Amino acid sequence: MPSNKELSAALDIEGTVPIHSVQLDAMVVLKIVKHCRESIPATVTGQLMGLDVNGVLEVTHSFPMPKNNQDSEDDGSNYQVQMMRCLREVNVDDNSVGWYQSTNMGNFMNQSLIEHQFEFQQALSKSVLIIHDVARSSMGNINLRALRLTPAFMKLYKEKKFTTEALTKAKLTFSNIFEELPITIRNTALLTALLYELETADESVEVSTSHLTTYKSTASAPASKSVLAPSFDVLDLSLDPYVAKNLENLMDTIDDHHQEQGNYAYWQRSVERENKKKAAYLLNRKTENARRAQSGQAPLANEDVDAMFKVPAEPSRLDHLLISGQIDNYCKQINEFAGPTLGKLFAVGELQK
Amino acid sequence: MMDNSSTLHLALPAVHTAASATAPPSLAQPRAFSTSVNPLVFFSILDHYLRRNAGQDRVIGTLLGVRSEDGSEVEIKGCYPVPHLETEDQVEVDMEYHRTMFELHKQVNPKEVIVGWYATGAALNSYSALIHDFYQKEVSSFPAVHLTMDTALTNERLGVKTYISAPVGITSKADNCMFIPIPCDVKYFKAERAGLELLANAKSTESGSTTLLSDMDNLEQSVIEVQKMLERVSEYVDSVLAGTVPANNTVGRYLMDTVSVVPKVDAAEFEKMFNSHLQDLLMVIYLANMTRTQLAVAKRLEKLM
Repeated sequence: MPSNKELSAALDIEGTVPIHSVQLDAMVVLKIVKHCRESIPATVTGQLMGLDVNGVLEVTHSFPMPKNNQDSEDDGSNYQVQMMRCLREVNVDDNSVGWYQSTNMGNFMNQSLIEHQFEFQQALSKSVLIIHDVARSSMGNINLRALRLTPAFMKLYKEKKFTTEALTKAKLTFSNIFEELPITIRNTALLTALLYELETADESVEVSTSHLTTYKSTASAPASKSVLAPSFDVLDLSLDPYVAKNLENLMDTIDDHHQEQGNYAYWQRSVERENKKKAAYLLNRKTENARRAQSGQAPLANEDVDAMFKVPAEPSRLDHLLISGQIDNYCKQINEFAGPTLGKLFAVGELQK
Repeated sequence: MMDNSSTLHLALPAVHTAASATAPPSLAQPRAFSTSVNPLVFFSILDHYLRRNAGQDRVIGTLLGVRSEDGSEVEIKGCYPVPHLETEDQVEVDMEYHRTMFELHKQVNPKEVIVGWYATGAALNSYSALIHDFYQKEVSSFPAVHLTMDTALTNERLGVKTYISAPVGITSKADNCMFIPIPCDVKYFKAERAGLELLANAKSTESGSTTLLSDMDNLEQSVIEVQKMLERVSEYVDSVLAGTVPANNTVGRYLMDTVSVVPKVDAAEFEKMFNSHLQDLLMVIYLANMTRTQLAVAKRLEKLM
């Protein structure tokens, strides 16, 4: 029986131990994949529940959220409250630890996501966002990422000031908006038994239907009858659709980026203009005053210069950050995709010889 | 000598099909009734079983899914647990909870309907019949499916069995029914397959945990698998040629078919295709890397400002 001190250290009530990795239950992985898969191409979200123990965030359950975001926010939270209440009755950990979102081709960096995650992290310091990329997962490998907003970013977001000086002071660039946490997946003992069973082919197969249930794999290769027979989706050579779509998204984002730059340049120019006007006015005033002093008239009062020439405020650089982050993400995706693809290509080359 | 065997006449529930409208109405054609299950359901059931209250021997819950148009194929896609209480003389099922959860689930997946219920533990007793009757009322015109999962691991197997019930006996009381087993498949999406493989990796480790694989690692694993398969096959072929293993014609023919699937492309053609493909890919990689470098430079410049 762990002592009270150990237990409280494990439960970390004060919330001082930072999370350094995320542990997902096997069921959660499957649930997320199934939910995201069923709702292509719409992006969907859901809640994660679990507990954080000793710096590891254990996620033990998840449920999907209904997609009607056009209705008031209350619908979503009502559903959530009811769901959590029901789950509590069957002894599921009803401690919310984060949320997940599906994405297509990695385009998830937008304002609404950041806002949502920010609110979440404000409310619960130990929360995480899991991103599941549906398009990449169809190529034979599940793609899950666990992200949190960095504390520097959270501070800046709270103040909502994204001027250039603020950014440089906080040393915030697009690469440290999110921090990524490593994910491990855990199976319980019974689950392990289930997996073993799914793998072994049923010996007494092909008996009449009224006596035994048989396990058959849907990819009915006559040689392998087990559910977990190796699938070779990953060895598929169709590269073009993925790369083409990725490039399209990349170009769109670069267009956005260009627009942002344009906005920024416009702002800079307008500031220049205002400053010039201000300087000209001041000069005018000075000469005017000098002339008046010469002719013995009272100098004109120095009006409030600043009120007359309002310098426009610097536009928020948050979009710029997000867009740069997104571009970076796309490029990284292309790289990560290209690695195995080159391997596959050369393997096929060898096969031909 | 008279036959002492007795037969039991079971009325399979009549399935109303559009096709059988042409058949004479007196012949209720019972079609082959089968189910397919998403592995997620198994996982959820096991999870529920692990979280049961102390003293509960078995747990039950509702199965959700879709059925095919004629009602003979049921696909079980999801489930949720329902609290219930089983004592010596009575059984209680929280119907309110069941309804609430179903409403909640419908908001997310409007297409899924109740198709039956599950229970852990292989025993089928009169309580099962009562509960099944209750669920039959929920499912209305189609037979409800009952899925059991043997968590006690008798025979060292997690036996999963699916049943539908048929009335038997003289009086039609609720618990006079017989559970007829029906075949059950496991069905899943391709992406889920990848997830299952990942989980299967974990089963060989001590703590039952594994990390996510990068794409490269995944590819490596698959290639190693293919290599192993090829080795096994070539060993077999060698041993057949050496005469140590009797030749099996079907296997031989199958192997020949498989090997001939590799497309025979003219070498020069292949070179051209290979090179152009390679070039495309390399160009894209180059552009992507350049974009990244550009961004990195911009980042540094911003810092300087």
